[in-house]
Amino acid sequence: MNPEQVFKVYESPRLKKPSLIAAWIEDAGKLGPQVIDFLVQKLDCREFGEILPEGFFPMSGVTVEDDVTQFPMSKFFVSDEHNLIIFLSNTPRTDWYRFLNTVLDITHNECGVKEIYALGAMVSSAAHTMPRLILSVVNSPQMKDILNPYGIISDMEYETPPGQKPTINSYLVWLAWKRGLPGASLWIPVSYYLIPAEDPRACKRYVDFFDRRFNLGIDTQELDDRMAEQNAKIARLFKENPAVEGFVRRLEINQPLEPEESERLAREMGEYLNRP
Amino acid sequence: MGIRFIKEPELINPVMIACWPGIGNIGLIAVDNMRRVLQAEEMAYIEPWDFFYPSRVIIHGGEIREMQFPASMFYYKRTDQRDLIFFIGEEQPAEGGRVYAEGSKAYAMANLVLDIAEKFGCKRIYTSGAAVAPIHHTARSRVWVVPNSKALLPEVKKYDNCLLMSDIEGRGGQGNITGLNGLLLGVAGRRGLEAVCMMGEIPVYLQGFPFPYPKASKSVLEVLTPALGISMEMESINRLAEQSEFELSSLYEKLPPEIKEQLDRLKQVLIATENNAGIITEEDKKKILEDIDKFFKREGREEQH
Repeated sequence: MNPEQVFKVYESPRLKKPSLIAAWIEDAGKLGPQVIDFLVQKLDCREFGEILPEGFFPMSGVTVEDDVTQFPMSKFFVSDEHNLIIFLSNTPRTDWYRFLNTVLDITHNECGVKEIYALGAMVSSAAHTMPRLILSVVNSPQMKDILNPYGIISDMEYETPPGQKPTINSYLVWLAWKRGLPGASLWIPVSYYLIPAEDPRACKRYVDFFDRRFNLGIDTQELDDRMAEQNAKIARLFKENPAVEGFVRRLEINQPLEPEESERLAREMGEYLNRP
Repeated sequence: MGIRFIKEPELINPVMIACWPGIGNIGLIAVDNMRRVLQAEEMAYIEPWDFFYPSRVIIHGGEIREMQFPASMFYYKRTDQRDLIFFIGEEQPAEGGRVYAEGSKAYAMANLVLDIAEKFGCKRIYTSGAAVAPIHHTARSRVWVVPNSKALLPEVKKYDNCLLMSDIEGRGGQGNITGLNGLLLGVAGRRGLEAVCMMGEIPVYLQGFPFPYPKASKSVLEVLTPALGISMEMESINRLAEQSEFELSSLYEKLPPEIKEQLDRLKQVLIATENNAGIITEEDKKKILEDIDKFFKREGREEQH
């Protein structure tokens, strides 16, 4: 495949040292795509390019989700007004190095991006009533300094255990570091039993951070409404199903559940929250 | 996609021994043991970017300090008998979550390995892997030998404790060598290079488990070293093989009697020929694997509580 066939830029954005926010469609609980969708909609972003799927995704058919077919997508959006570039993509299945470098070629080389934020969720065994904290791994002391004023936790000591692999966000920000570009992989722990539904509080936590970081002046009423609606639903569920409430209360005091109890909590909470 | 040199030594008619991970890591353990015992030196490596996803990240104080990739490393050793080049790949460049390499990346890697072989004047390549066989773990593993040309058959037939595919019941000389340990033979043949794959036998009931099987690696080395005309100390591979057999025997003792009884039938298999017909059928094999799988799943659950 010729390099020029790897991506298409419909109209190059004219920005002055913008920032990049990136997320992956397969993120746990779809948190990353929810944040991106919210930002794209509220900031009135326009799509300006894409990475073509051939060579990065198996072209062996399509998957079906919620009764409709899915096809890999890797799209770039721009908010001219807020000097932001946003990237949302399926996670490539092969040739990751070329794919991630293509993301950086477009955003860094073409658009002059000055810092990148790769966001996502981490499945947590904690109760959903715990505060939503943003944790981070940075690629440079410079990025740590950038995040410092925003209460983002960045003190992790970690080595990938045998049998596991680094996250694609870590890989992306490491490649950014190789180009001298400050970057951070951000994640918010999301309770495992909210994964089948959504976590609007986590979504709002991200949006609040980006709002402060980039002075977006964004209206988050919609997220507040979704949070209130979810809280009300959970309160109703607790009333109807005290066992589920009991499981959550135990998690709140760090008392682990038996596997069958965890399974039941996730199933019953998921079913209830997904009811129209 | 390229090769980086650490050293470019002068070598005289070297032989290359290449290996990637596979079932029981039989070839990998054999070749890596040989490389260590002979104290071969680092020579070059294949850049990992285009082949692999990172294998490990090291984060300190919230900052990424290191991103590690599976290594694909060349080593060299000049011995009194002959010069050697070792290639050891920590992972096969598989696509779509597969364990064994296939497709364009596998072909590209095979060619890069052979580029080095040709650059240093190699005419002969050896690879090594596993042969899943109806044997018992107390038996000595034999080595299935597959050359990439008919001209090599007379030579490989002389190797001790070896079998050709045609010696094995019901195969009629046919078979597959999955992944790069096999693919390299084909690509070498296209480039006019001689190549031989040596596969150490692993008991059929161990094929699905992530245990190494150094007993078969020892058998491979017992064939490979005389084939190369070199001698090396075997103490470390013997120790590994003994340790592994001890651990497997302890595990074996825990198996339910009905599974053990089935597996004990494999003790009668001394050589894989037509005479073995009936000792263990395909149906027996399937049932044994299912029973063992169930046993280990049950064990795993019990250990968690």
